[in-house]
Amino acid sequence: MMRWKNVRLIFLREVRDQMRDRRTLFMIAILPLLLYPALGIGMLELTLLFSEQPRSVVLLGEEHLPTPELLIGNRFNSVWFLLPDNAEKLEVITDGQVAKMAAEGTEEPDERTKRLLAQARAIQRDLPRQQELDRTVRKAKEDWTTKLQRWANAQARGEAPSTAPLEVIEAEVEHQRLSERQREGKRDLGRLFAASGMQVLVIIPPELKARLEELNRRVIDNGLSAVDHVNYPHPEIIYNEADDKSLITYNRVREVLEMWESQILKRQLELAQLPEEFTHPVEPKPTNLALDEQRSANIWAKLFPALLVIMSVTGAFYPAIDVGAGEKERGTMETLLICPATRSEIVLGKFLTVMSFSCMTAILNLLSMGLTGRHMVTKAGGAAMSAIGDLSLPSPTALLWIVVLLVPLASLFSALCLALATFARSSKEGQYYLTPLLMITLGLTVFCISPGVELTPLYSILPVAGPALLLKKVLLAPIATVNSSLWFYVLSVLGTSVGYSILALWWAIDQFQREDVLFREAERIELGLWLKQVMREKAPLPSFFEAGFCFVIIVLLQFAAMKALGLAAASGASGGWLPISKAQQALLIQQLALIAAPALLMGVILTTSVRRTFRLYWPDAKLCLVAAILPFVLHPLSYELTASLHWFFPQLPDDMRMRLARLTDPNQPLWAVLLVLAAAPALCEETAFRGFMLSGFSSTGRIWLAVVMSSLTFGIFHMVPQQVFNAFLLGMVIALIAVRGNSIWPCMLFHFVWNSLMILHGRFGSQWWEAVGGDTVFTRLTEGQLRYHWPALVAASLIAIPLLSWLAQSPTQLPIDPTTPHLGTSPGPLAIAPVSHPA
Amino acid sequence: MIEVSNLTKSFSDLRRGHVVALEEATFAVKPGEVFGLLGPNGAGKTTCLRILSTVLRPTSGVAKVAGFDVSTHPVDVRARIGFMSNNTGVYDRMTAWEMVEYFGRLYGMDEDYLQERIRELFSTLQMLNFKDMLGSKMSTGMRQKVSIARTIIHDPPVMIFDEPTSGLDVLVARAVLQAIASLKSQGKCIIYSTHIMREVEKLCDRIAIIHRGRILAIGRLDELLATHEQPDLEELFFDLISQDEERVVVAS
Repeated sequence: MMRWKNVRLIFLREVRDQMRDRRTLFMIAILPLLLYPALGIGMLELTLLFSEQPRSVVLLGEEHLPTPELLIGNRFNSVWFLLPDNAEKLEVITDGQVAKMAAEGTEEPDERTKRLLAQARAIQRDLPRQQELDRTVRKAKEDWTTKLQRWANAQARGEAPSTAPLEVIEAEVEHQRLSERQREGKRDLGRLFAASGMQVLVIIPPELKARLEELNRRVIDNGLSAVDHVNYPHPEIIYNEADDKSLITYNRVREVLEMWESQILKRQLELAQLPEEFTHPVEPKPTNLALDEQRSANIWAKLFPALLVIMSVTGAFYPAIDVGAGEKERGTMETLLICPATRSEIVLGKFLTVMSFSCMTAILNLLSMGLTGRHMVTKAGGAAMSAIGDLSLPSPTALLWIVVLLVPLASLFSALCLALATFARSSKEGQYYLTPLLMITLGLTVFCISPGVELTPLYSILPVAGPALLLKKVLLAPIATVNSSLWFYVLSVLGTSVGYSILALWWAIDQFQREDVLFREAERIELGLWLKQVMREKAPLPSFFEAGFCFVIIVLLQFAAMKALGLAAASGASGGWLPISKAQQALLIQQLALIAAPALLMGVILTTSVRRTFRLYWPDAKLCLVAAILPFVLHPLSYELTASLHWFFPQLPDDMRMRLARLTDPNQPLWAVLLVLAAAPALCEETAFRGFMLSGFSSTGRIWLAVVMSSLTFGIFHMVPQQVFNAFLLGMVIALIAVRGNSIWPCMLFHFVWNSLMILHGRFGSQWWEAVGGDTVFTRLTEGQLRYHWPALVAASLIAIPLLSWLAQSPTQLPIDPTTPHLGTSPGPLAIAPVSHPA
Repeated sequence: MIEVSNLTKSFSDLRRGHVVALEEATFAVKPGEVFGLLGPNGAGKTTCLRILSTVLRPTSGVAKVAGFDVSTHPVDVRARIGFMSNNTGVYDRMTAWEMVEYFGRLYGMDEDYLQERIRELFSTLQMLNFKDMLGSKMSTGMRQKVSIARTIIHDPPVMIFDEPTSGLDVLVARAVLQAIASLKSQGKCIIYSTHIMREVEKLCDRIAIIHRGRILAIGRLDELLATHEQPDLEELFFDLISQDEERVVVAS
């Protein structure tokens, strides 16, 4: 029972405590009031002081330049610039100058000029080879994408693809090989370019002047009709976009050349006696409908979601450390624990405190930033700042949205920070634990503000990204477009955010109820000692922490082997030690070496009872029967559920879909597909997930937590969003089978039958449909796939529901060894952090 | 008021492995009595008292305080005890008055009665001169007084003191002992842990000598001296401890 009076008392005390703390005051008052205005002034001054160094442009073939005069001395002619002053910012080095100097004998060209010209010529020499390479790579890519497209189109129509998957992959490999060579060539050329110290190299082709003059002569002599075809030699410009200096210089040079070109064109038109407008038959006249406040909304839509996330996490950071670890550090934790308030009341009071400060920090910081920005724009007269856009404050509706979305963000961060800070022994330790949270948040923020990223149903249920992207959406949307789809997103974002916050808060309360977390003393940690403890206190079953570690190891191994496995799969050839394709062999190796082996090894090393850990017990016959029947009734339900949710998940890229399809290619022998995609996963994945990990996760004594955790890891392990979802649900069912019967064999049986069904459905679904004589009450054929009608689904549910509820009935049959008293509190993630001796 | 039977607490430690901090402890304390837990550092005194204050949960055994089981009714237990140890600090950013007032409110005291009680306590404990001082500015003596006031603000029937005089100068320690003696005369049930013999002799009606988590002897001081044929508490204590050490050596 929650007594709100206590929560309020604790909340008020903590708030007063925080307000008396200098750090908090700094974050919520000094920072917004002083720092941003100071930063603003500093930026203004910097823009005034800023000036550019002249950049070097090397121009080869000066003598081939047609009139009008492009160059004057070692500068571009200032008439070719929109702002004539910019001419001073580009220094032009040409071979013509050097020749002139030598002829006049006035002075020797300096070393730098000589070197620049020499390197420019070296680049000029290597250029054609690179251009040839670029052409072949373009062609190879075209070849590959057409083949892939053809395959995907055929697949979408449900026909047998005319292009074999192998051909597509060979084209891809060829493209990769050529791209690699192209990259190498580019790198060499780039090195030469970077070493030279020039920013842009312009090469004027030898015939440019002659051809132009000849063309002009023809026009003068015989009129426009004499020009049947034009073949201009084009100048080359070499620059490096990745280098800012080079890019800026390139843009200036292009501006110059374009102005110059239009002048040449104007002259040609005069000669041909054509009006100037002749070359602009289609010049669209744009009308921009954006209102000023919408333009500012655009700026804020990019900035505010990111700022809101960052400010709410930093706002939660220090208060959380102070009310969590700080309380331990200052020796008042026990004082608080012996008061009549329950642990939940204490945590809730502290949580509300952290959340208030998180919200306050975010709002004050954003407000101050907004006001400073606006002030700066009005002061600077728009000269320097107008480039960024209108920085006036967003509309009241937008501000309301910010406040609404701040709440779920702040509550999630507050609960997470509080749990981590409670776990820490001291403020310093707390900062270490919270830094990763900050990093992850920053990563997500960068993702959210990337231009192309928009809210999708999948993103809307992600923590942090959901609210941030929703804010971006509502800030960008003109008021008129607020519609039902927006409300769908609002509900889904707020709903999931509240869920995440409750989970995090529950974790914080859990931390607060563990004596090994509350009474840890700062103790020296030694790896050797810890390992000794792990070996000394080997329990029959793995710990929660060991289960989590096993999962991380398995995922890391998949990640590390991804490239090698991908290559093996791409080679496509068969041969080797089994009469199956290389891709299938790679999968088999992955299952055995990277999933089953680590789990088995950890089981042997870290536990005293391999049998109990992996549930190697004789199974119950009834359970085996259930495990064999369930896949048949769950398959239609799962299949239709996935099909009805396809809008929710992002579409897989074509090449990935092709790789997946290739694994079940009907040209391969059925036994091989069943071996690799059904038998091996059933054996190996069950060993790891329902063997080692489920046993480890259940060491806390909370069976449901273990079931959910093992399914969650099983889901995440499948990586592709659709499969993550399916595997999670599947994992729940198999975990229930494991817990119910305390035997791994029915789990493997279920897994094998399930995967086999999927394969058979894909392979023989349409044949079966033909065999039963077309559409029936239960099944139909849609896009080459066998689909289920609602009567089939109802029938399946009628069988599945009683079976599942029977499984879920008593998931308590955990193997409890009577000889060693298991305390119910596992070392958990604390195995690293020693439990102190409360003496 | 306090009934403890077969109370055991064990946990795992990085260096020592599986540690039994308290083993099968059994004793009872009546109202108006001061019960002393005497033992060297690390004997299990703090573990025992933390279980009684519901901060730690027992591994096995039963402990009842004021009629409530510490495992099943921790909130009721906490409402009826006053607990003070050298680990129960004072908030740095709260004044003496605010601190005592805060805990009084958490105990659910009536606001008028609370204010009257604080005034009374502050004058008897001579705290009025620093009632508005922040915890961070207080001397050790002042902090100890605030802790005592915090412990007894709700007038609990049971009081638990875990080495309340450790680290105090003689004057403050004497004041603390006097405060406890006066609480005893009010009929409170008091359990008191220490490793200082003099305090036990002066204050305690009955004692338990505890070592390595086990209670070696329990009873009135004069009875214990008579049964073990020892001249004084100090001799008795060292005799029991060395016997126990020998037992441990033989056992291993």
